[in-house]
Amino acid sequence: MKTLNAKFQPLLTLIFRLVLGGVLVVAGGIKALSPEDSAGAVASYKILPTQIAHIFGYALPWLEIAIGLLLIIGLSVRFAAITGGVVMVMFIGAIISVWARGILIDCGCFGGGGAIDSAKAATAHRAYFVEILRDAGLVLSAAYLYFFPYGRLGVEKLATHIKEQ
Amino acid sequence: MVALVVITGVVFSMMSQSTKASESFAGLKDYKLTKVVNATVDPAQGSGIVLNPGSKTQIDIWEDPQCPYCRMFEESNGNYVDDLIRTKKATVVFHVLSFEGEESVRAANAEFCAADEGRYLDMHKAIYLLQPKLGNSGFYSNANLIKIGGYIGLKSKSFTDCINKASKFDNVKASYDSMAKYKVTGTPTVFINGKLWQAKSASYDNNEFRLAVEAG
Repeated sequence: MKTLNAKFQPLLTLIFRLVLGGVLVVAGGIKALSPEDSAGAVASYKILPTQIAHIFGYALPWLEIAIGLLLIIGLSVRFAAITGGVVMVMFIGAIISVWARGILIDCGCFGGGGAIDSAKAATAHRAYFVEILRDAGLVLSAAYLYFFPYGRLGVEKLATHIKEQ
Repeated sequence: MVALVVITGVVFSMMSQSTKASESFAGLKDYKLTKVVNATVDPAQGSGIVLNPGSKTQIDIWEDPQCPYCRMFEESNGNYVDDLIRTKKATVVFHVLSFEGEESVRAANAEFCAADEGRYLDMHKAIYLLQPKLGNSGFYSNANLIKIGGYIGLKSKSFTDCINKASKFDNVKASYDSMAKYKVTGTPTVFINGKLWQAKSASYDNNEFRLAVEAG
């Protein structure tokens, strides 16, 4: 496994950088174009108080874009990987939180307690599961990048290389 | 450097939100005043707002003023429901819920206040027409609700007082409390002659709804 990694590591680092960075830039970009949707989405998780959730929702897409760009160009990869990983862990935590509380996001407006329509619940539960899997995969990518931040086509290595000369 | 990007982004986003807020009354600019429609609040029906009682067809609509899915339902079916009431083809009972936040409570109160003066349908329509993208961000304030009233023919002192004093809060609370009794857990929830209507389309397609109403 170690020798396999040694052989492919520079390429794998590049791939994980592009995947994690790409997802962050695209997801962040979409949210940045509709700041109210982002703010409303964070509020719908009912974790933070409403006004704080709104501010968080405004800020998050920009953080995602910044971190995503760093990963794509390969600068401060370790820092970006840690931050990106933390963001993904946070998403997973938020999804688990609403799942456990029986809140169904994106299906309608719910309130007042009581049992939820089972058909809607099934769709939502499937969506939560898929999202958690996806985000977990991205956490693993971030972890890989923490341990192996240098690879192909990265600005950082180039910068240190120039410094050394 | 990352912090700089984030802060710039937040400032930009918050600024774009505030400019949109000032445009938000545009939807009522050309509102044509309608005929008053008498409305009563029925405690026996979860303090629902009853319009055109006595028809053999009854539609119960449970909505929260800040619920975007209710807005979608209204966009698709609002005019049709309005018409059913005004042409006396069905009894419609609106159950105004307010679990989405404090602004929903204010807006719900405004709907009851408007119902008192025969302008429930107008207030209801206006609230959804102007519903902002982001809930609980300040739009359904007393001042704005009074302003909406001004556009739809509610300029009386009784209406203004009703808003400022939250005079209909008991009705708002009774409506919210009745959710459990009717096993309503979210919005929009629609019953046609007591039977739950389950929309197959995501946008509450009017053709689908119309067929369901006509089928009874």
